[in-house]
Amino acid sequence: MTTKTKYLKKYEKEMNMCIRCAYCFEKCPVIKEAQWDTDGARGKVILSYGLLTGELEPSQYIADKLFRCTFCRDCLDRCPSKVSILEIISSARADLVNAGYASDTHKHVINNINNTGNIYGDTEVISQERDGKTPLFIGCQYLGRPNKTKKYIKILEKLGIDPVVENEMCCGYPMEVLGFREDFEKHKENFKKSFPYKDAITLCPTCTVFLREGHRIDAKHVLQVILEKLPKANLGMKVTYHDPCDFSRGLKIIEEPRKILEKLGVEIVEMKNSKENSRCCGGGGGILMTDQDLSGDIARKRIKEAIETGVDILVTSCPTCEQVLKKAATEIGESEGKNIVVRNIEDIIWKAVKSI
Amino acid sequence: MKIDVNKLKEIVGEDNVRDNIADLYVYSSDASVHSSKPDVVVRPGSVKEVQEIMRYANKNKIPVIPRGAGSGMSGQTVPLSGGIVLDMKHMDKIIEIRPEDVICKVEPGVVNDELNGQLKPYGFFFPPTPASGKICTIGGMIGNNASGIRSVKYGATRDAVIGMKVVLANGDLVTLGSNTKVDSSGYQLAKLMVGSEGTLGVVVEATLLISPLPKFRAMGVANFATLEDAGKMISNVIAAGITPSMLELMDNVAITAVNNAQNLGLPDVDAIAVFECNGMVKEAVEYDMKRIKEICKKNNGTGIRISDDPDEMTRIYEGRKKLFPSLSKYREGLFTTALADDMAVPMSKIADTVHEIHEIAKRNNVVMSAYGHCGAGLIHTKILMDTSKKSQWQGAKRAVKEVYDYVHKVGGTTSGEHGIGFSKGPAFKQEKKDSLELMKAIKNALDPNNILNPHKLMDSPDDWLTATPLRYQVNTK
Repeated sequence: MTTKTKYLKKYEKEMNMCIRCAYCFEKCPVIKEAQWDTDGARGKVILSYGLLTGELEPSQYIADKLFRCTFCRDCLDRCPSKVSILEIISSARADLVNAGYASDTHKHVINNINNTGNIYGDTEVISQERDGKTPLFIGCQYLGRPNKTKKYIKILEKLGIDPVVENEMCCGYPMEVLGFREDFEKHKENFKKSFPYKDAITLCPTCTVFLREGHRIDAKHVLQVILEKLPKANLGMKVTYHDPCDFSRGLKIIEEPRKILEKLGVEIVEMKNSKENSRCCGGGGGILMTDQDLSGDIARKRIKEAIETGVDILVTSCPTCEQVLKKAATEIGESEGKNIVVRNIEDIIWKAVKSI
Repeated sequence: MKIDVNKLKEIVGEDNVRDNIADLYVYSSDASVHSSKPDVVVRPGSVKEVQEIMRYANKNKIPVIPRGAGSGMSGQTVPLSGGIVLDMKHMDKIIEIRPEDVICKVEPGVVNDELNGQLKPYGFFFPPTPASGKICTIGGMIGNNASGIRSVKYGATRDAVIGMKVVLANGDLVTLGSNTKVDSSGYQLAKLMVGSEGTLGVVVEATLLISPLPKFRAMGVANFATLEDAGKMISNVIAAGITPSMLELMDNVAITAVNNAQNLGLPDVDAIAVFECNGMVKEAVEYDMKRIKEICKKNNGTGIRISDDPDEMTRIYEGRKKLFPSLSKYREGLFTTALADDMAVPMSKIADTVHEIHEIAKRNNVVMSAYGHCGAGLIHTKILMDTSKKSQWQGAKRAVKEVYDYVHKVGGTTSGEHGIGFSKGPAFKQEKKDSLELMKAIKNALDPNNILNPHKLMDSPDDWLTATPLRYQVNTK
């Protein structure tokens, strides 16, 4: 056992529970692209075990492998031994960061959070501060997309919800997932001061998960909140729906977006892999920052699956999925002449409620 | 012999060769207890590349170990003396599907369930159904003669492989077998390759028999207060001329583990039998299920449930398929090890063997489960133990030997479907002692330099425990 594994050592038993059956290969987006055992969830658990036992020394190569994960959670569903694979990977990342193997890109993002409270490092990115009754957590991804945020706030207002928005800071998820745990411990206290609520409505799927798991806040995603309040509409659209991983496998928010779309008169044509089996868009876990080729490969595969449904519009409910899939859709359109438009669900909802 | 990595990169391209210590560490193990690193991992993408690699390796006497998903449980793909691991996952094309001939041709890296997904629109499937079907490759299934939960009706991989292309140790490409179900003349070399664990050649294409998808299917579960009753039920079903498509047994250890890991809510009984019938005629399926139900009752089965609800069947089926890895959830501090894991015994000896397995476990201070495709005579056992304790490994070693001694005594065989590798080497050599020299002669004729997956089967070390380092951290106490 080495002293370099401050965070991994907690998981020795978990790693022994992994019987290396490889069931986690089944839908892992990274191994499906890379096709090397080292790149799958099992490979990452084995590498972590090697770091823990000292059979492997930390290296840039190992760090690169352990950072090639989208945190899509599919392996957690596949693993029959219920090994905490993502906790092991994030602990290994934390130990590697402590050993000096953080990427410059990741360091930059973390410095941004430390210095400005958001991932962009932009003090001009300010939340839509407002008084109200129900706490609303915007999250960095929506802070960087003010028009979308405004739209969601208007939707809430039209449905009788009066949100209070603070001058909030990042929930800290990037710190946790990118292995900057010591930064997160410090950030956690500041976060608590900036957002002193026990429950909240959220806009971003990942923030929703992390407010619950990292801060013990009873977070409800805006789609869960508005489902019952939305009036029926007849938009007459036909779309396919991409489940964000933090919804389909994290929070099990699978039916709510579908029910909303159905309520608004939108017909859904499901992709081959949908709901619990939805494929990752390739945007999570930090790979969008450090491995855009891999991220793009995964995203293009998902877009091709969406195109196979025969519809012209793909709807999703996560800003990162939207961004990654939009880029992939443009690339597929240019290279293969097959087109699909990617839209966020709030656009569809707004279309239906703006005239209320 | 130092391996010329640049030479290998010339053959397959730089992106398809890895020799970083991290990759070698990952490729040093599979789902067995063993660990031993290769010198390099190479990912061929064509038959020609495989041939060139083999020519290079043969000339330089470098071991070559073909590998699929690396889900083998006995160390089949663990390289004892280094060498080249050939990761075959890149050769994953379905070459052709010929429903009119009831065959398909595939590359070895095709995943079993992906093949089934492609066959489904034609109304066919590939019958061997290993629990690992969602990730295991056809090449791996051929190497180990895998079968699975439907072997009671459809047999094993060997029954479904009728032809193949194989790259031999010297790099020559040979076509074996035929495109027909019957092929009477000459040595059945394609069948010989099946189960040879990559010791005789590298399979680069396989011709497989496919079967029409059954139109109707029903599944049943029965509880038994004693293993003896469950064993008799299984024996009676087969003897009655019924051909279920699945006839499985789970002992109490397995039941507890599945409940803990998958929250299935199975009753706390000594044994549960899970059975399935399928076919093209609904009444025939119902008739067989009715007969099995009667046999369950005759043997004191209780809580008998029969269902043709797809959700219910999927729940039972998936629960069974995930049994092996679920065993780690049996009790805190005990970990599943794939040891003594797939013997087969004559049908009438199933109950006695399961009973004996539990006695052996008690004597050696380990926990052993027993479950499996008992309708085909196959029993899976796993040893659950604290893998950090040396004394537990010694107990496991004694238990493995005692289990196989008993299995051989009652006329059973060492491995029904998982293969030999290192873990079952000693028992295999004991069981097959009369044919070891014949096997060595065949191996020598095809691979005189002994480069193809050496130290496996009849050449495996005499002590599995010291054959390779264990992949677990073991304290010296």
